[in-house]
Amino acid sequence: MLRVLNIAWKDVRHVYRDIAVLVMMFAAPLALAGALGAAFGSGDNFSIAAVKTVVVDQDEGAGAGVPAAGATLTASLTGPDMADLLVVTQMDDPEAARAAVDDSEAAVAVIIPSNLSSALMSAGPGDGPAGPTADIQLYKDPALSVGPSIVAAVTESVIQSLNGARAAGATAARLGLSLGLTDTDSLSALASQAAAAYAQTAQTEPPVVLEARGPVVASAETEKRPNVASQVLVGMMLFFMLFGAATPARSVLDEHRQGTLPRLFTTPTPRSLILGGKYVAVFLVVLIQAAVLLLVGRFLMGADWGEPGPVVVLTLCSALVAASLGLVTVSFAKTPGQAGAVSSAIFVFLGLISGNFMGTANIGGTFAVVRRVSPLGWLMEGWSDLLYGGSWSNIVLPVAAAMSFTVVLFAVSTFFFRRRYA
Amino acid sequence: MDAIVVEGLRKQFDPPKGPVAVDDVSFGIREGEIFSLLGPNGAGKTTIISILSCLLRPDAGEARVGGFSVTRESDEVKRLIGVVPQEIALYEELSGRENLLFWGRMYGLNGPALNKRVDEVLDWIGLVDRQTDRLEKYSGGMKRRVNIGAALLHNPRFLYLDEPTVGIDPQSRRSILDGVKNFNAAGVTVLYTTHYMEEAQEISDRIAIMDRGAMIAVGAQDELVRLVGERTRINLALDRNADILAERWRDLAGVSTVSEPEDGRLWVLTDDANSLMPRLFDSAQTAEARITEINLAEPNLEMVFLHLTGRALRD
Repeated sequence: MLRVLNIAWKDVRHVYRDIAVLVMMFAAPLALAGALGAAFGSGDNFSIAAVKTVVVDQDEGAGAGVPAAGATLTASLTGPDMADLLVVTQMDDPEAARAAVDDSEAAVAVIIPSNLSSALMSAGPGDGPAGPTADIQLYKDPALSVGPSIVAAVTESVIQSLNGARAAGATAARLGLSLGLTDTDSLSALASQAAAAYAQTAQTEPPVVLEARGPVVASAETEKRPNVASQVLVGMMLFFMLFGAATPARSVLDEHRQGTLPRLFTTPTPRSLILGGKYVAVFLVVLIQAAVLLLVGRFLMGADWGEPGPVVVLTLCSALVAASLGLVTVSFAKTPGQAGAVSSAIFVFLGLISGNFMGTANIGGTFAVVRRVSPLGWLMEGWSDLLYGGSWSNIVLPVAAAMSFTVVLFAVSTFFFRRRYA
Repeated sequence: MDAIVVEGLRKQFDPPKGPVAVDDVSFGIREGEIFSLLGPNGAGKTTIISILSCLLRPDAGEARVGGFSVTRESDEVKRLIGVVPQEIALYEELSGRENLLFWGRMYGLNGPALNKRVDEVLDWIGLVDRQTDRLEKYSGGMKRRVNIGAALLHNPRFLYLDEPTVGIDPQSRRSILDGVKNFNAAGVTVLYTTHYMEEAQEISDRIAIMDRGAMIAVGAQDELVRLVGERTRINLALDRNADILAERWRDLAGVSTVSEPEDGRLWVLTDDANSLMPRLFDSAQTAEARITEINLAEPNLEMVFLHLTGRALRD
């Protein structure tokens, strides 16, 4: 056993003395998680910062008893449903609003023209010549895309609603005519009431509905909302652990090429112990990698991984999965270069189908089923459960499934290594 | 009784069409001697070392080391042998001392005994002052010495050295050859492979000459030299017409062999150099050529190899 540990320790030291490998094992996943965490803020579920919006409502209305369309649009933008997305400031001067965007004080300005209501209340579709038109101006910062797009989407939705009101009024007027109403004032009043009723309905039942995402662990009593960095870090950690495992695993081929492995075989140390030492080295390398990443995530990124016990078990399980994958991809190869190319391709494929590049927030539906063909997918599921407040009961199935994969992968790699070296 | 016995050894790589690396090789090594396998690259020397190190299984034949079969009792054999591979089989990122500690543990040494033994070996190989430097900072000769030291940690009864002086400076080569003689004087039986005739001549008690997987001669140096008789090699340089003279000299009485000329240089094997040399000068003069350089070489292993194979050892 001492010889196994000697071989393992030698390989672990070799890996942790290689700066390039350390960058790949630690800096890459932390940088990706940190960058995405910073981009989406420290809140939960990839939320983005509220969009600073200026609204200039110049609408003069269409007469008494008819709600002003400009006010409807303004109300939609400043409503409670938009509070998380938009920070709206109202101004009177369109030039001042544009200046605010030019000075980067706002991301977008919504300038409502004075004739918006009257244009909507003019002759309806198919009712003679086209009436006056009104243009709502969106003045946006060209460097931004997400924030102005949200404002544009909300505005467009309201406009559609108002156009719907306009169509409702016209339809009501045509209905009145068909029923024998000939008095112009009565028809106009009927159309206005129909449009107002439509607009009122649209306002009380907003067309823009934000879908709130529920936690993955529906049964968890204490639902947590993990921050973005921790969600991303889980996927990146598992993905880069594969590369961490492949590095010491490739040392079998490196040592064979350099002559140290054949030399080891001339010593009284049995070949099974030599290969065992290699396996232990691979496991230790990724275990240390996982522990460091989890600790950095905890203390520098504010990640709350969950209860210590399940976290330890899942960490060990993750290290075993990564070690087995690293070894099996190397066991097929004949040269270190071949092993590097093959393992990289396999790892990227596994990362894609397992959702490692999407964090834990976007998992669901068909994808949640597909990723179960990969041990990484099971691990992602287990870590996701813990991040959202799960505990032992939630990780039993993911751990059991991932360990089943691991046993098979270790058996396959051992078969090929023994066939070559035993 | 021989300490190492090799009988009818055969090894073919990638059968049935692959090359036969060793073909029906038999020899014995006596306890306490330095036994060299001499031959050009591809002669099968490393394959024999690999079989005797339990790295390769022979296709046929048997080898016993210290009375143990290399195929059936490999664990016992491995405890008796120290192997110095041809390449530097060490860890560049570890220091010289760390390398020796690691290899010592692989031989089952631990604790104070290991540290003491590492100190002794570092002293032998002359690297006490540089023991904490990483191997990547060592010169080629220093690495070679550590490569040898790693095989000595467990006090092996048999030491195999596979071309340990390839690619190193003369000073390091001298150090290694002296070291091998010292280890042997301390009681270690040495199996040494080389394609340098001078090394085999200097350190060996007995030499086996190999070529293309076969053992073509074995014995002490003087026994081998006698295979070519009392012939002397005359090395010559000509200023012109070397091809013409080579043809003429092959018909001269007393000439055994004449080499193909190369850049005006050639050699002649003869039983009687004293009587032949005046005739060589006469012949050259007749061909309007001038002998610009001449020297005599007494019979050696190079000539034995040439005599037995028709080719120079370096070919």
